[in-house]
Amino acid sequence: MRVKVKNLTKRFGEVTAVNSLTAEFESGKLIALLGPSGCGKTTMLNMLSGILPVTEGQIFFDEKDVTDLTPDKREVGLVFQNYALYPHMTVLENICFPLKIKKVSKAERIERAKEFAKMVHIEEYLNRKPKELSGGQQQRVAIARALVKNPKLLLLDEPLSNLDAKLRVEMREEIRRIQRESGVTTFFVTHDQEEASAISDYIMLMKLGEMQQYDKTRNLYNQPANLFVADFIGSPTINQLHGVYTKGGIKVDGDNQIIKTNHKWQVEEGSRVVLASRAEAITFNDKDDVKTKVVESYLSGKDTLVNLKIGSYNLRGYIDATKPIKIGDNLNIGFKTEGVFLFDELTGERYYE
Amino acid sequence: MSKFKRVKKYKSDEKVTAKTFLKPAIYLLPFILGILVFTVYPFFNAVAISFKEDYKVISDTFSGWGLGNYQKIFSDPTFIKAIINTTQYVLVVVSISLVISILIAVMLNSVEKLQGLFQTAYFMPMVTSSAAIGLVWRWLFNYDYGILNYLLSLFDVDAINFLNNPQYSMISLCIYGVWSMLPFTIILLLAGLQNIDPQYYTAAKVDGAKTIDIFFNITVPLLAPTIGLVAIVNMISSFKVFDALYMLFGGKPGPAYNLYTVIFYLYEQFYTKLKLGYAAASAIVLFAIILLFTMVQNRIQKKYDYY
Ligand SMILES: Nc1ncnc2c1ncn2[C@@H]1O[C@H](COP(=O)(O)OP(=O)(O)OP(=O)(O)O)[C@@H](O)[C@H]1O
Ligand SMILES: [Mg+2]
Repeated sequence: MRVKVKNLTKRFGEVTAVNSLTAEFESGKLIALLGPSGCGKTTMLNMLSGILPVTEGQIFFDEKDVTDLTPDKREVGLVFQNYALYPHMTVLENICFPLKIKKVSKAERIERAKEFAKMVHIEEYLNRKPKELSGGQQQRVAIARALVKNPKLLLLDEPLSNLDAKLRVEMREEIRRIQRESGVTTFFVTHDQEEASAISDYIMLMKLGEMQQYDKTRNLYNQPANLFVADFIGSPTINQLHGVYTKGGIKVDGDNQIIKTNHKWQVEEGSRVVLASRAEAITFNDKDDVKTKVVESYLSGKDTLVNLKIGSYNLRGYIDATKPIKIGDNLNIGFKTEGVFLFDELTGERYYE
Repeated sequence: MSKFKRVKKYKSDEKVTAKTFLKPAIYLLPFILGILVFTVYPFFNAVAISFKEDYKVISDTFSGWGLGNYQKIFSDPTFIKAIINTTQYVLVVVSISLVISILIAVMLNSVEKLQGLFQTAYFMPMVTSSAAIGLVWRWLFNYDYGILNYLLSLFDVDAINFLNNPQYSMISLCIYGVWSMLPFTIILLLAGLQNIDPQYYTAAKVDGAKTIDIFFNITVPLLAPTIGLVAIVNMISSFKVFDALYMLFGGKPGPAYNLYTVIFYLYEQFYTKLKLGYAAASAIVLFAIILLFTMVQNRIQKKYDYY
């Protein structure tokens, strides 16, 4: 099912949790709602599920306006951050519950519940109570309960945040698999950009209730819409050199050289800008002429991750581990075309070529 | 996953010596003394008296040990009737007051703004003197002028002589009993309701549940531990029904001496007939009945330990 939101707004008194958000989400995709804590992800999800009434704007499921429908009429499955399994019911009863409410016959609901229990690999635990399950198992029960009613939309609110690192990775692959198998349009809330990148087809990145960018996961990395996106996505964090745009290049604060790259940015002379570059977009060729000083270096797989100083800023790049690097060395670098962006320092807007 | 975890039992790692024992012991002494004098001693004394044959209070003499008192009260039809009456009263009052209280508590719990007002309102019966309340209820039940009969007349029901017709006296007593039980019950249930994590309601709504589904599938089962607790406390207190009876019927056990309860029987044996042996034996019998109910209740309760 396709989901569309139009000018979606939620205010809690003075606080605007979600601000006039308009977007269209393709059917059958896994969409990550990503952003720092308090940016309105849960609020967004709760409005989609119908738990929270919207302040302004509309929500459409396919062509249908569902803005005023209560949760029980929206046919969504929701997995809460702490699962919210009914403590007085067994695993089987928990999964059956949505069907029981729909008055599905007992035999049929047990059959369907078992089918989904199998899909999420919890069929051995059907007679246990939630308190007798591990966090990961509880989560899978919650997913089965959300899926058993064949929802048109699956919503997951930071479902992995309670798990240890190993289980997290396992479970996110599991969610990916379950989503593919069921083909249900899925929203997945997380504040971990790595998790979002690993699992999703699309990412919607939010900040203070505003959508920053909604795009294919790759594109957030390759084509960030603004400095916030560039900064939030990617590990290590994107390099940021603040300076002035002058004479067709960037003069970094605290440094005298003018850095020229092969981009043709449309920038006014004298603008305050931020030159952002991915670590892998830094080159160390012989003809490179941007002078830097080595501050630190760590071995990172077959490469060395070097931390370089340029003016008052630091910059990281990957250099072939066979090259001898000493702290304090002078090292010339260059910038590739891809993975290098220029932003307005004040607004964070990106300059395009 | 619940935020309400069982309280853990901690053991102090301090060694117990005469010195570390003495100080807390002194603090506890007044309380322990009180219990010993007013609870423990009377209890054992009552047990003892119940086995003393021909016990005389005035001279504190008895002819020997035996089961005479028990034989006597169990062959007394009034006592048997008292047990039946009391059990009836307990079952009716406890169950009806629970059902009403659950409904009221759930309603109150969903309208936060009213809670302050209601908390005062339903605390009133708990803090008002029972003599005054008895008087008021005598008026409410009044044959000619009582508001209950007025309400019934609105539905074209003939006036009922609540207090003077033996046929209706049990009903009157139960109405009063239910009413007096509501405040305490509602407060405990409200506390229980407030312990239920609201996310279960949200989850159920998303699962498609309507208000009524939520009530029966989520609220009641999650409230079951509290319901069980309240049921047992109410059961114990209503097995001891006496004040209500005494007040409503002007010191008589029902208009035609038809409404003996165990405590009324005990009271009569003790104060009016000075048969301490019979009084003690009936107290022990009541104790045994309450103990039995409590044990059964506890057994059932174990099933509802979810967290
Ligand atoms: N019921 C509420 N009343 C008032 N303010 C609220 C309420 N719920 C959320 N907010 C505010 O709205 C903003 C967005 O909250 P939300 O829970 O959507 O954030 P989030 O992105 O899910 O954060 P997190 O990653 O920490 O879960 C926050 O500033 C929060 O304080
Ligand atoms: Mg949240």
